[in-house]
Amino acid sequence: MAIDPSHAATVAPVSIEELAGHRFTGGQRTIEHWENFLLTEVCGGPQLSDGLAHPAHLFHVPLDGAGVSIADLFSLAEAEGPDRVGLESYDWEYFAPLREDVAYTCSGEVVAVTPRRAEESAWDELVFAIELHDGDRLAARVTNTWQIWRSA
Amino acid sequence: MTAVGDEIPEWVMAEVEPLRMQTMAALLRDPNPVHWDRASTHSRGLDGRLINQGPINVGYVANMLMAWQGETCVRRLRLRFPDRVLDGERIVAGGVVTGIDGETAVCDVWLERPDRSRPVVGEATVLLSRS
Repeated sequence: MAIDPSHAATVAPVSIEELAGHRFTGGQRTIEHWENFLLTEVCGGPQLSDGLAHPAHLFHVPLDGAGVSIADLFSLAEAEGPDRVGLESYDWEYFAPLREDVAYTCSGEVVAVTPRRAEESAWDELVFAIELHDGDRLAARVTNTWQIWRSA
Repeated sequence: MTAVGDEIPEWVMAEVEPLRMQTMAALLRDPNPVHWDRASTHSRGLDGRLINQGPINVGYVANMLMAWQGETCVRRLRLRFPDRVLDGERIVAGGVVTGIDGETAVCDVWLERPDRSRPVVGEATVLLSRS
């Protein structure tokens, strides 16, 4: 996998809400056997047969393939630290089972950034979506929502 | 035959282990120390307990579904994370069928602690292969 941490920094918008519509660089990502083995073990399940990849790959594989790392996203969202990012929700769609050794073409963008306020808390809700194609076929789509916590 | 109201057989992670989180952090290239450095969670009032990564929690739900309907059954996972899963916890993945449309089933799914609280909740769409 190829990750260029300069992607986020070079296109950072003036305000966080202007991130909406920001497209990731895009690229390809292949799930290799060794990482599938380890991730499946980490999740506590049995190893899968016939080169099938564990469904839990749909977090980092789309990001890697789209050319953005978790650290890039933290930077892009101007997170005050890696521990200032929380998880709101995932919506992961599988149009075909994920497989090892398939070069998935990944493309996506930041869908929305919404400021949120509660009594003593402030955060931005960051939504991004990435599609994975196997050739011309849409293989999977992820829409993830993160919470970027801000100092009061 | 699968029917609305059927309960999905539970899948159990007897103890959420820090070493697995650390391996996952390396796989994800995740710089967030709450998954691998106990010092980072002391300030959060977690007594140094590490926070399980979201994708691992998803993995528990997926494991349950695959054990139920086969390795290629997962079609959609829509999950929310109202609370954190911490190391040392016993976590049980569960679910119930809420709808059936042809060969697919829609299910409420969750991760549950022994005290019945649910740190992960949501909905799964599953291809039925064993109906």
